[in-house]
Amino acid sequence: MNSAALASQLLIGLSRGMLYFVVAAGLTLVFGVLRVINFAHGSLYMLGAFFSFTFATVLAQGQAGFWLALLLAPLAVALISLLIERGLLRFIYQREHLMQMLLTYSLVLIFGDLVKLIWGSQYQSLSLPGILSGSFTLGGVAIPWYNLFLLVMGPLVALGLWLFLDRTRLGKICRATATDREMVDILGVNSTWVFAAVFALGGWLAGLGGALMAPVVNISLGMDANIIIYAFLIVVVGGLGNIWGALISSLIIGVGEAMGALFMPDWAIVLPYVITGILLILRPSGLLKSVW
Amino acid sequence: MSTLGLQKSKPGAERMFSASRVILLVLLIIAIVLPPFLSPYYLYLLTTIMMTALLAASLNFVLGYGGLLQLHHAVFFGVGAYTVALVLTKTSWPFWTAVIAAPIVAGFFALLIGWFCVRLRGLYFGMLTLALGQLVWAVVYKWRSLTGGDDGIHAIPVPDYLASPTSVYYVNLAVLVISLIILYVIVKSPFGLTLVATRDNPVRSQSVGVNIRRHQLAAFVLAGFFAGVSGVLFVLIEQSVSPSLLYWSKSAEILIMCLLGGMAVFMGPTLGAAVLVILSMVVGTYIDYWLLVLGLVLLLLVLFLPQGVLGFLQEKLSGRKTGEGGERDAAS
Amino acid sequence: MKRRKVLRYLALAGVLSLLASSLLSGCGQQPAAQKPTGKTITVGIIDSYTGPPSAYTQDALDGFQLAINEVAKQGGPTIKFIKRDDEFKVDKAQSWAKELVMQQKVDVLAGTINSGGTLAVSQYAKENKIPFFDWGGMSDKITGANGHRYVFSMLPNTAMIGKAGAVQMSKLPYTKYWLAGSDYEYGHSVVANLWSNLQKLKPDVQKVGETWWKVGEPDFTPYIASIRAAKPDAVIVGTGGADMVPFMKALQNTGLAKDIPVWIHTATDAGTLKPLGDNAPVGVLGTNAYFYYYPDTPANKAFDQAFSAAYNRHPTAFALFGYMTGKFLAAAVDKAGTDKEKIIDAMEGMTVDSPIGPMTMRKEDHLIQMPMFYGKTGKDASGKVVATDINTLPADQVMPNVDDVLKLRSK
Repeated sequence: MNSAALASQLLIGLSRGMLYFVVAAGLTLVFGVLRVINFAHGSLYMLGAFFSFTFATVLAQGQAGFWLALLLAPLAVALISLLIERGLLRFIYQREHLMQMLLTYSLVLIFGDLVKLIWGSQYQSLSLPGILSGSFTLGGVAIPWYNLFLLVMGPLVALGLWLFLDRTRLGKICRATATDREMVDILGVNSTWVFAAVFALGGWLAGLGGALMAPVVNISLGMDANIIIYAFLIVVVGGLGNIWGALISSLIIGVGEAMGALFMPDWAIVLPYVITGILLILRPSGLLKSVW
Repeated sequence: MSTLGLQKSKPGAERMFSASRVILLVLLIIAIVLPPFLSPYYLYLLTTIMMTALLAASLNFVLGYGGLLQLHHAVFFGVGAYTVALVLTKTSWPFWTAVIAAPIVAGFFALLIGWFCVRLRGLYFGMLTLALGQLVWAVVYKWRSLTGGDDGIHAIPVPDYLASPTSVYYVNLAVLVISLIILYVIVKSPFGLTLVATRDNPVRSQSVGVNIRRHQLAAFVLAGFFAGVSGVLFVLIEQSVSPSLLYWSKSAEILIMCLLGGMAVFMGPTLGAAVLVILSMVVGTYIDYWLLVLGLVLLLLVLFLPQGVLGFLQEKLSGRKTGEGGERDAAS
Repeated sequence: MKRRKVLRYLALAGVLSLLASSLLSGCGQQPAAQKPTGKTITVGIIDSYTGPPSAYTQDALDGFQLAINEVAKQGGPTIKFIKRDDEFKVDKAQSWAKELVMQQKVDVLAGTINSGGTLAVSQYAKENKIPFFDWGGMSDKITGANGHRYVFSMLPNTAMIGKAGAVQMSKLPYTKYWLAGSDYEYGHSVVANLWSNLQKLKPDVQKVGETWWKVGEPDFTPYIASIRAAKPDAVIVGTGGADMVPFMKALQNTGLAKDIPVWIHTATDAGTLKPLGDNAPVGVLGTNAYFYYYPDTPANKAFDQAFSAAYNRHPTAFALFGYMTGKFLAAAVDKAGTDKEKIIDAMEGMTVDSPIGPMTMRKEDHLIQMPMFYGKTGKDASGKVVATDINTLPADQVMPNVDDVLKLRSK
């Protein structure tokens, strides 16, 4: 095992972690501000992938389709999220966590069957745009260009989130709400639209994750269940509600899995749970504090 | 908040509860004499309902009474079922050892998982149960040489006297009734009352010298134990096990049962289990979109009927103003 | 809060009426007990119509539907069916099996893509003496160690796939192998069968290492990179279902198949290649049970045309399995009537024409004798990626040894 191979495996792991981050960031953001664990986050991810398939095949043929879908699919998902928040979630903010969780779980069931109704049960697939297909070689290891693309997209999303949270008024209100909601209410900030905006942003991130994954996975029913547990683990390990914690834990799990593929290649199925278990036993309430 | 019917609040409520006891007794008698009049399928359905009811009741013990956000209860059900399956297929030990071992092993797993989880509160507790539960699932799924992997274990040898559907029915009925009585006695016992107190007012409980964590852990283990009993019943009914028994979606199903019937009422989860099992088997025969129906039912329940069907009825019949039943913040 | 109260009553009424109506209709429903004197048989189908496997289960169901329509048109026995969705859950499959048999009084059962579900339903079929046609579960246990009189495998199991794959690989000059796949029964079983057969055919092969990833893996790059780092001569992959398409995409993007030969069952299948479009990797080796364009015979063309006309897509291997289940059942009922034991006796050793030549139900273990094909992905004249260099292995070359199977059963 030479160091170049190790380095490239690290790179692959980081790109994998970035993908996890895009999905988990939305989940943790929504929790941090709304205090709602959104089981339907995985469904929104699945919707992102299906929308991106439809946009890419219906709106434009070939290369342009992918980019157009990458732009539009997350927006469509954000719109749906907005409808969910205004139509359902806002009525149950005063309820206990379990009720909120079960409400979002009911959406998992509903969206699962709706996707089957609309798109059918056949597999859908999207091609990578030519510029991102293929791979380059680093230390004798072929790394797909697409992984490099993810490695760029992830930090871009993180940077965008940081600018939003740190530099905009809405973002500052979000942070304040996550830290001390009562105080924000007392100060007279109208938090309902903050909640709506944050939930839509969370949906946009889930949709973006789905759209980013659409060209490399099988766009199929059941995508939602695959991702949601991962996203949960990452969010818990990072510290519920903390975006930067989610970033760190995404990268730990992504790199951990990539290294696992190298050193213990037949234990992939238990690895994320083991990593999570160890981290949680060491730091029971997450790597970073729940508020930021 | 007197949502549990534990406090003797009004004479009217008192009468109400003796009335509900009469109803339960009548139901029990009906259940005892019913089998000869039932078609084999309805007998099977009822047996499954009773097994599931015990599972739901055991979850409600930690969730409803303990206020602990147990998100992955199916693990202990699955561990119990797998213990029976493994003892009966991999060893030559007698049948009763498997039956005794299963709830104990399930309780032991609950002790292990609970020991880590009770250090955390609210959602963290819930998420850690989910993560550790999925770890158990992954191990069962992965350890193919022992558990048969995703194929599971089939044709588990059950003694001949338990092979007929009628005897399995009566075993399920007896175990369900006895377990419910035990759980009810525990709920009413000083331990149970303290547990409810730790849920409703942890700060005050602590200040009067209650060891909250120890109470919660004990409740967690008890619930795991009874989930293991339910796992034994499952093997008696189906003679097979598979990893889907301890996948997280199974836990979500049990949660829905508790919510459907009413978490604040002792018999609520039992009713919820009955309704959900029947719904899933009946709706699925008519339309291809059973999960859509389930989702809509759940949505309606959460939005408009959070105290569950039985909780709602009890509220109305006893004429009590309980406020928003079941809307305490279990997690904060 | 008056409005809220009203809503509550409405919700209660909604939930109760939903329950009541479904229950009442359930009671009012007469089980299909009365059988007309003509040859009519009811099949209870249990399969996963929710989640990732639904693409395959729908193919099988459509193939079956096509067959029973054809049979009816030709004046054969009337075959009715009732289908149930097991949501890929073994316990649900069991419950449905009981409902179908006890309540709907079906004569035979068919399904299920989840091999755990197949084994569970098979056990129930054995205890209640109901013929069960497996058109989805591929585990070699189904007609192997757990086999019995009442279960029939209507598709090649992992023993046949492994044997066919071993023949294909034994003709190639590679010795150092890496074994990999999805970490579930099908993946392990295919690879184990192939490897043990390959060791028999070519004793000098050696295993360099193994990689197993989880089902539903979103990104195969780290696994592929680590396999490539070990520099094996060839890679045997046991993956299937919804993982096939993304794995093939990963092969294309990493270019692994260009450097190291990769073998995967169904790599050349239309169901795998069609969603991939121009993203399909070239040069991937693999076995397959069916191609709609090979062999280029009138019978196969007719099947492709009939299926395409009915369902607007080409038939895949699973469509053939469903189709042949219908054909076999019709032939058995035609010959023996609707008595369950007689149907089984008729099935044993029966030969039925299929789009790819005659198929026989092996008498001893109820495993269907059908040919297997092997080849590799390549471009046809129009640049589309299809199976190329297709070779046919007659059934007798891929079937597991009968004595071995019966020895497993007696254990």
